Amino acid sequence: MKIFKKSILIFTFLFLILSSLLPFSFAEAGNYPLTIIDDTGTAVTIPQEPQRIISTAPSNTEILFDLGLQEKIVGITNYCNFPEETKNIEKIGEISPLNFEKIIYLNPDLILAYAGFQLKEIPRLRELELNAIVLEPLTLEDTFKSVEMIANVCGISDKGSLLVDNLTQRVNIIKSKVSKIPISARPKIFVGGTSETIFTPGAGTLFNELITLAGGQNIAAVLSFWKKISPEFVAQAEPDIIIVPVGAMNQGEESKIKNNISQRSGWSNIPAIKNQKIFIVNEDLFYRAVPRLVDGLELLYGIFYE
Amino acid sequence: MNKSLTEIAGYTNWRKKLILMLLVGSLSILGVSLICLNFGVVSINPKDIISILLNGTQDKTKNLIIWQLRAPRIALGVITGAALSTVGGAFQGILRNPLADPYILGVSAGAALGACIGIALQHVTGYLFASYLPLFAFIGAMLSLYLVYKSSEITYSANSTGLLLAGVAITFLFSALITILLAISRKELQSMVFWLMGDLSAANWKKISIITLPAIIGCLLLFFSSLDLNALSLGEEEALHLGINTGKLRIRIFLIGSIIIASVVSFTGLIGFVGLVIPHIARLLVGPDHRIMLPASAFLGGIFLILCDVLARTLMAPTEIPIGAITAIVGAPLFIYLLRRKNK
Repeated sequence: MKIFKKSILIFTFLFLILSSLLPFSFAEAGNYPLTIIDDTGTAVTIPQEPQRIISTAPSNTEILFDLGLQEKIVGITNYCNFPEETKNIEKIGEISPLNFEKIIYLNPDLILAYAGFQLKEIPRLRELELNAIVLEPLTLEDTFKSVEMIANVCGISDKGSLLVDNLTQRVNIIKSKVSKIPISARPKIFVGGTSETIFTPGAGTLFNELITLAGGQNIAAVLSFWKKISPEFVAQAEPDIIIVPVGAMNQGEESKIKNNISQRSGWSNIPAIKNQKIFIVNEDLFYRAVPRLVDGLELLYGIFYE
Repeated sequence: MNKSLTEIAGYTNWRKKLILMLLVGSLSILGVSLICLNFGVVSINPKDIISILLNGTQDKTKNLIIWQLRAPRIALGVITGAALSTVGGAFQGILRNPLADPYILGVSAGAALGACIGIALQHVTGYLFASYLPLFAFIGAMLSLYLVYKSSEITYSANSTGLLLAGVAITFLFSALITILLAISRKELQSMVFWLMGDLSAANWKKISIITLPAIIGCLLLFFSSLDLNALSLGEEEALHLGINTGKLRIRIFLIGSIIIASVVSFTGLIGFVGLVIPHIARLLVGPDHRIMLPASAFLGGIFLILCDVLARTLMAPTEIPIGAITAIVGAPLFIYLLRRKNK
């Protein structure tokens, strides 16, 4: 009798352990329902493989395209402009305030939101019982993690890891080249703009990270995040190269922008201006937390050293 | 005393007018709300809407859109519009200043600063507070209310200028702090700017259940001060002679009004212009007697705000235009037109 009781106890115990392990083993195999902790620390359960996805940020849209999930996107914001095919996808309006009515009408089974813009809306999305996953990549590594998370949620984690491996390899090539360059030989970089007021990216921004990775020394690295700085700061830092990120640019504007920067008072002694090392680049390669950041990184390396 | 006041001000027959106005007002709010339910990015047949309202429907999406999105939004619009306009009217009364609006005594700047601090804190604390932004806004509003109250005491509380200047000073101070926060924040910047513009899109029943009580009780308290406000509108001295402690009245209205505004804007953000212009329109339509003018402002404000919200969400759909912009674009010409007609 005692043995019988014992064996029942052991059996129940084993059963409990096994049953508690079961969900984990399912999740690892990429099966649904799948529970994921998003960048707001919220556990979100995805009941089945998402078929109708809404992206509420340009970066999320780009990542979906990179993963070949464009067929499943049913709605994007007015700001999602890359790649070209985004033109044909239904728009849900602005990044904020989100148009909940349109979102519900599109009947999504997954919403990829972005915390930086939608703090106010995220609780409401969850209240409406929509499956909202919030991403907030702030670094290159975070961006890769976002790619993996989106791939994982959509049941294609292999494809996600492949893409990230590929990107990591490209980053590593640049890293190993840069590691051979002594600090003293690295150019001083200033990221300027086209307007009179100078906002420049300091430590903690994606732009600063890419400059550093590409082997440049950001003159604003002592500051944190995007800061308004005085022309004096730039003149004193004597940057070797000036990078000007722009959005859309008309033809013939390039020389005008370069002229404007070259002729700013007090800057004539800056090496970048004396040697006309002013480069105009597409801002989307540096602002958006998407795989294209690696294109931006390679572009910067090219500007600095080739 | 009441009787003599009525006679002095020449406001007769106010009971009849009030009842008529309440009747017309509530009917039109109901009617306009029903009409507004029909507008949105998604087109829903009016017949469907009626059946959804009466007994729900099998179509889950439409049900959700009507009951969880459009209806709470309209309800929040009515309450917000009514609260802003009533308080605007009362503040114009105590400050004896036609340019006064609900935000002039500093409470809005405090709410805005509180909300911006809440948003900025997300950077440090993660998303712990994401649902508690209204609480931050409310605390900010209470802080500014206290500061304005204290500084108006230091100056001369018996005078409307003291309160007004204290309010304006605190508003400037808090706005400056907000500007600094905006300048040093990065990814939170958008969230802050959107909060400052104000909108009704995040309305839900829970928020409505929280603000309804303070808004209604507050507005009723303001309505009951109508006679004192009427007396004050005759002039500071005249009101004193009529036995009204104008200093106390001013502080009372200021406190009640500010608490109403604090609870409303904590959820909606700063929606401008309604509280400034609707009391004037009400005055043009029903006359300067606060007993009728204040309830009329409430009704007009509610109707005006939900109509503006319909425009905000349909004009450029699916993009939503900030409602504060619509209220000014629609309200300013309407106001000037009414002024012209009155003067002819």
